Amino acid sequence: MPDALSGLAVPRGFRDILPTEARELHAIERTLLGAFADYGYVPLEPPAVEFASGAITMDERRMVRFLDRDGRLLALRPDVTTAVARVVAQRYRDADAPLRLSYFTAVFREEASMRGSEREYDQAGIELIGSSGALADCEVIALLADALARCGLVSVEIDVGHAGYLHGFTDELPTEAREGFASAARDGDLVRALGLARGAGLAAKRAVALERGLRHRGPDVAAARADAPKGSLKALDELEALTPLFEAAGIGAAVRFDLGFVPALPYYSGVVFQVTAPGLGFPVAAGGRYDGLLGHLGADRPATGFAINVPHLHQAVLDAGWTPDGDSALLLLDPADDLVVTVRVATALRRAGIAVCVGPVAERAGREVRAGRVVDEGHVAYEGTTRTLEALVTLLGGSLE
Amino acid sequence: MSALRVALAQGALMPDTRAALAAAGLPTDVLDNGDRRLLVPAGEDTTYVLSRPGDVPTYVAHGAADVGIVGKDVLLESDADILELVDLRYGTCTFVVAAPQDMIDKSLDEYRHLGSLEVATKYPRVAAAHFQKRGIQVEIIKLGGSIELAPQVGLSDWIVDLVSTGRTLRENRLAVVEEIAVCTARLIANRVSYSRDRERIAALASRLETWAAAR
Repeated sequence: MPDALSGLAVPRGFRDILPTEARELHAIERTLLGAFADYGYVPLEPPAVEFASGAITMDERRMVRFLDRDGRLLALRPDVTTAVARVVAQRYRDADAPLRLSYFTAVFREEASMRGSEREYDQAGIELIGSSGALADCEVIALLADALARCGLVSVEIDVGHAGYLHGFTDELPTEAREGFASAARDGDLVRALGLARGAGLAAKRAVALERGLRHRGPDVAAARADAPKGSLKALDELEALTPLFEAAGIGAAVRFDLGFVPALPYYSGVVFQVTAPGLGFPVAAGGRYDGLLGHLGADRPATGFAINVPHLHQAVLDAGWTPDGDSALLLLDPADDLVVTVRVATALRRAGIAVCVGPVAERAGREVRAGRVVDEGHVAYEGTTRTLEALVTLLGGSLE
Repeated sequence: MSALRVALAQGALMPDTRAALAAAGLPTDVLDNGDRRLLVPAGEDTTYVLSRPGDVPTYVAHGAADVGIVGKDVLLESDADILELVDLRYGTCTFVVAAPQDMIDKSLDEYRHLGSLEVATKYPRVAAAHFQKRGIQVEIIKLGGSIELAPQVGLSDWIVDLVSTGRTLRENRLAVVEEIAVCTARLIANRVSYSRDRERIAALASRLETWAAAR
C-alpha cells in the first residue's frame, strides 16, 4: 500500500459499507421495518451514546467507552434495550396497554483484536412491553419468522427454549452453588454445569433428567418431563401451550423445542428463542422474555423481544441467492449539445417517474441501468430507435401527467 | 445431510482421540496414513479438519467445524464462544504456578516489598485470570515456550505453565506453588451446529461419554 493511503485506514473492527452492500442493507431495512409496522410496532431512535454505567445488559468490557469533556464515562450504544428501558420508565410507566417498539440501528461492541469481529454492526429488533403469556410469546416469534421470510430467508429453524426449565433445576441446588451452575450453563460449559450440579448434591435421577433435557430438541417436550423438578415442569407446560399457537401462525414446521438452548445473558425469565440458517455458524436472530429487567429501572412490566443481527441475516440471504428489489432501472442519459434541452428532457422524464442520471456512472451498486441519448426536446434515442418522450415513458413503465 | 465437520487437535492428543472416535463408530483409518492433507473426508458422514490445538476452538466458534476435540487447557486460554459437551478424561495435564525451589520465600518477600511479581507464561489469559482471582498484582511476560528457563535467568519471579508429569519442572529446579486447574480433552460444538444437527451431535456425545466413563 502506498504511504499516502495508509493514513486513510479506519480503526480495527470498523469499515466502509460500499454502495452495493449499502443498497442491499437498505432493502433489508425497508423490509424489516415494514414487517414490524404491519404488526403494530412503532419505531424508536435511540441516541448514539449512553452513560457507560447506565447500560444494563452489557459487560462493561464489551462496550466502546470514552470520556466526554465533563469527565463522564460514555459508551457508544451497545444495544437498544437500555434506551427502551429508559423510555418505558420515563414516559410509559403508567401506561396500561402494551407498548410495541421497533428499531433498526448500528450497535457497538468492543472485541478483542485478531478475531475477525466487527465493532460496529446493524441490529434490527422489536420489544413488546406490558404483555405476558403465550399470546405475546407467539406474537414476537411469529413476527420474527415473518420478517425474515419477507427478506427472502427460507429454511430457517426456530429453536424455542425456556429459561425456567434450567431455573427449576437451579432452585434444587444449595444457594451457594446456584450462581456457579447457572453461569456455567450460560457459558455453554455443560461439563462444568453438570459436574457442579452433581457435586452440590443434585439427586441422581434429577441429574439424569437434566442431562437428557439439555440434549433434547424436537417437535414437543414430552420426553423431558420424567423426573424434572416442579419449576421445570411449569416451563414445559408453557412451551406446550405454544404449540397450537405456532400451528395457527403457520410456523409450526420451523419450530424445534430446544431445552439445550441457554442464552448467554442472565436476565431472561421465560420463553427464549433463536433463529438459525443453513451454513451459517452464528444465529441470525435471538430473543426472549425478560420480565424482571425493567423492574430494576422502576417500571416493573413484563417484556419480550428480539434482535436480528443484520450482517448475519445479509450473509444468509445472499447465500440463499437473494438480490434486492424495489429499485426501478436507472436510465443513463447521454446529453445533447444543447444543455437546456438536456435538462428539460431529464426533468420531464423524472416527473414521469423514470429514474434518470445524466452522463455515465462509476458505480452502479448492482442496480439495473439502461442507456439513452437526448436527441431534441421531444425525443430520446433508446435501444437504437429514436422515440418520443411519451413512447419512452410508456416503455419504461412511467406515466406522463 | 452434509458431512459432520470434526476439528481435531494434531499432536499429543491424537492417539487417544483416534481411539475415542473409533469407539464412537467414526471412521479413523483415514487418520492413520502419514497423509499431509488438512481437510480429510472420511466417508459420507464425516470430514476431519486437522489443525493446531490452539486453533480448534476458533474453527468451531466460527462454524468452520461443527464439533471438535481439544484440551480444556486450550479452551481456558482461548475464551471462544463454544459449547463444551463431554469430558473425555484423557490428555490430563495441569496448569500450575511454579517458582525456583529455593526462591519461593524470597519472591514472596519481594512481592511484599515491591508490590508486584513478574510471571512468565505461554498462557497469559489463564495466568492473568488466576492472579486477578487471588488478588495478587503481577506483570505477565508472554513467551513462546521453554517457560522453565525464565526464572533461572532472572526474566521472571514465577511461571505459569502446563505440566503433565512434572519432570521438566523438577529438572529445572522449579517447585509447584499452586495448582490452577486440571485439564482433560473435551468434545466441543458450535452453538448453531448443536441446534441444527442435534441428533447426530448428541448421539456422538453419548457414545463418547460412555467410552470415557468405561476407561
